[in-house]
Amino acid sequence: MWQPLRQLWRNIVRRRQVAREIDEEVRGAFESLVEEFEGSGLSPAEARRAATLAFGRVETVEAQVRDVRRGAFLDTLAQDVRFGLRLLARSPLFAIFAAASLALGIGAAGAAFALFDRLVLRELPVAQPDRLVVASFGGPGGRHNYSLPYPQFEAIRARSRTLAGVFALHPFGRVTVTLRGDSSIAEGVYVSGDYYRVLGLAPALGRLLQPADDRPGVAVAVLSHGYWQRRFGGRPDIVGTSVLLNAVPFTIVGVEPEGFTGTEVGRPHDVSLPMRAIERLSEGPPRWDKAFWTWIYVMGRLKPGVTIEEAEQETRAIFAQVGLDAAASPGQVQLARTHQLRLQPAATGTASDLRTTYGRWLRLLLAVVIAVLLLASLNVATLLLSRADARQREIATRLALGAGRARIVRQLLTESMLLAAIAAGLGLALATWGSRVLLRLATPFLETPPLVLAPDGRLLAFLAGLAVVTCLLFGLMPALRSTSSARLTASRQVGGGRHRRGLDRSLVMAQVALSLVLLVGAGLFLRTLGRLWAQETGYDRRDVLMFSIDAHLAGKRGDDIAETYRRVLEALEPLPGARRISASAVRAVSHNYYFIDSMARIGDRELPDGQQVRVAYNLTAPGYFATLGIPLVAGRDFDRGDTPASSPVVIVSESLARHFTGNPIGQRIGPDTNTSEVVGVAKDIRYGSVKDAPREVMYVPLFQVPSKQLWFAPTFAIRYAGRPGDLIPAIRDAVARVDPGLELIGVRTLEAQTDASLTRERLLALLTAYGGGFALVLSCLGLYGVLSDRVTLRTAEIGLRLALGAQPAAVRRLVLGEAALMVAAGALAGLGGALATARLVRSQLFGVEPDDPVALAGAVLLLVAMAALAAYLPARRASRLDPLAALRHEGGS
Amino acid sequence: MPPRARAALLQGTLDLLILKALSAGELHGLGVSRRIEQITGGTFRVQPGSLFPALHRLEEAGWLDSRWQPSENNRRAKYYELTRAGRKQLGEEAAHWQHISLAIARALET
Repeated sequence: MWQPLRQLWRNIVRRRQVAREIDEEVRGAFESLVEEFEGSGLSPAEARRAATLAFGRVETVEAQVRDVRRGAFLDTLAQDVRFGLRLLARSPLFAIFAAASLALGIGAAGAAFALFDRLVLRELPVAQPDRLVVASFGGPGGRHNYSLPYPQFEAIRARSRTLAGVFALHPFGRVTVTLRGDSSIAEGVYVSGDYYRVLGLAPALGRLLQPADDRPGVAVAVLSHGYWQRRFGGRPDIVGTSVLLNAVPFTIVGVEPEGFTGTEVGRPHDVSLPMRAIERLSEGPPRWDKAFWTWIYVMGRLKPGVTIEEAEQETRAIFAQVGLDAAASPGQVQLARTHQLRLQPAATGTASDLRTTYGRWLRLLLAVVIAVLLLASLNVATLLLSRADARQREIATRLALGAGRARIVRQLLTESMLLAAIAAGLGLALATWGSRVLLRLATPFLETPPLVLAPDGRLLAFLAGLAVVTCLLFGLMPALRSTSSARLTASRQVGGGRHRRGLDRSLVMAQVALSLVLLVGAGLFLRTLGRLWAQETGYDRRDVLMFSIDAHLAGKRGDDIAETYRRVLEALEPLPGARRISASAVRAVSHNYYFIDSMARIGDRELPDGQQVRVAYNLTAPGYFATLGIPLVAGRDFDRGDTPASSPVVIVSESLARHFTGNPIGQRIGPDTNTSEVVGVAKDIRYGSVKDAPREVMYVPLFQVPSKQLWFAPTFAIRYAGRPGDLIPAIRDAVARVDPGLELIGVRTLEAQTDASLTRERLLALLTAYGGGFALVLSCLGLYGVLSDRVTLRTAEIGLRLALGAQPAAVRRLVLGEAALMVAAGALAGLGGALATARLVRSQLFGVEPDDPVALAGAVLLLVAMAALAAYLPARRASRLDPLAALRHEGGS
Repeated sequence: MPPRARAALLQGTLDLLILKALSAGELHGLGVSRRIEQITGGTFRVQPGSLFPALHRLEEAGWLDSRWQPSENNRRAKYYELTRAGRKQLGEEAAHWQHISLAIARALET
């Protein structure tokens, strides 16, 4: 069994010795034949000739022997690689340009793929991820809600026979972690006791949470591996240590395995706590028995042999039964009847905001960069084609000398493969760097990247695949064509024959078409971005600085919370430069919170189920409308007189005001019999994002609601004069004077917040514009190259025309006409392609139609201008030829 | 001077002939070629361009062994001999060949 390997080893490593032995054996046999002929009376010269006739050439026989030996192909490969490297080194400009343009394309595609893979494609690093399922529920045709109520989860966990395990989790966001007086903020998640067992994870250190931890009175926590490394430097003695979480003591019992960042991909957690620890950290009412309060994600693992349909059928029945048993109103009965549970495969985890926002987007980006890569390959193909022409004589000679066509094609392909390999190597570095930059740009406010982006086997395989495909794309065609027999005759003619003209022309046309598609895309996305920025939002985004504070993180409880926020507002009041200040629960252009409620009573009307008005509501402090620049069209703003002791009041948006009959001021509104008096009407705003349509909004006084409803981190807004940078240190001092434990979160201007909310659109516009620009430059270079070649090949003809009296302008027109033909054909195909693809990206556009005339015309104009420049240079050269010198020019190569 | 080739070597028979030629004892390359000519009554004459690659192929397959020793005219030559596996292979190929030639002969008789 080892024999073949030993021979292979010997043939490769001791190549010279093996060759020497073959030579001695074959040459020896030949020489002894010569001696025999001499012995039979022939002269030495005759004997040698007779032996050659009988034996064949010694070198040929030796080559035939070498070819049957194991590893022979490696020998040829090494030869080809050496030859290819020599050729590339001989034309470094071509080599650098080709490798760099391919590397850019491969690197960009790799960067997009690396992100897409980590965010969307990859399975969770847990045991048998393909057996995991995630639950959601929804009505017929409606959107599914992945947040479920707790009692239904408990019932499924207790009664299901199709699931080997079920767990729940609730990512609750920021938590202050304090170790020996040193505080920092981390991301926390509550998990039910079976979380780690069902996922099949083993601790890196200590132990993970287990069902016994998920009881009232237990205060334990597990750290993620990344957080343990980052925050505690990987210290093993962290296990058993007591830390304060929002000023409540917990004991760290273990560390999760490396690579696991949670089941919600794109939103890693740092600290996980047992579900029941919610009672130690939160003052909200207990939720364990609320069958219509949705707040937990539920996942499970299928038992072996059970299909997801079987499990869904069973759990759906349990879910419905719990809802029906608990329903207390006709509305709830209706809900329990119509809303069904659904199970979906969860091998790749559940969707985070990051995945929802960027999943489709990355697919689009991947398509854009692959188009750029395709174009770069076509460009290199054009270059290789003209190089192949220059090498025609060499190739023809080798074919004539008896080299096999396959052998020469293989050697030409080896050269292309070398180029592709160099490009892929550079591309790997570019992809790693690029994916990190992209992620950084996409999540500007996160301190630690939400995904681990280390190059790995999957990225390497993707890049290698790209390299092979592009290599075949740009290398095979020129290689096949320059060795075809038709070429051999054609090489003797002037001008390279009709065949070649067709091919390099179509290559240039394809490049022009592709770059036009990209340019149109860039135009559409840039115009979308412009429309979004110019969008009238209903508030004034200039000169507003925002930051959030969470009093819970400083350990505040009960009435202290509202008191803390009130004192922060008072401390900000006297700051120089702070013209107006206020606070609100929901931050403008942010999705951190989005509160929705249904109004059943509006004025005198009582609305039945199904006709109630869904409103978004915000809790605001006095002065909010003045600070944000939202005009009040009627009534008054909240003031210090609106307290828990006074009668409840609200302000409604114009859209909501239209649901009242007559003047809404003084009328009442509420979700049930608990109604509030409308004291003001505010102008409509685009509430959640600049893309939103104006909607029904209700504003509630922040300092009138009970303290236990203030579980969120309110945002303070300051309309400032001067520069925000000067204001921030003063704000920090003022807040620290209220309580040194208060941390400022998310300090940024409203403009920066708006900018960040448009990150996806901006990145898409920028990247497509860069890609389109790069594509345009490449295809103009291609056009320039082909025209230059053509002028060189037609030198004699052009010289003749000039000598016969043709005007230089006519000669210029000759060349420019050819360019115009190629560009026009390419642009026409490109326009068709652009119109077809623009429809596919309609969902990414805003305020712009896919056939937007400005984007289309702009792209065509840019293309024509650049192409004219590229064509003008060779045209000028042609018209300035010296007729005599040109006529002496031999033509051909 | 040896006579011109009298029959094209049948596909697949070269290996069999080389193994048979070596079954009587070790030979160098030219010796194998002459022995084949001799045992086939001059019907088959193997060209060096086929012979030497075949010898190396059979050696790599483990059917032949080789060593260097002085030849009849005092030149160093590479001598081949059958290995145990080679002898077994010869038996198998010979049986296979007889089977085929019988079948063909029968086919031609009818």
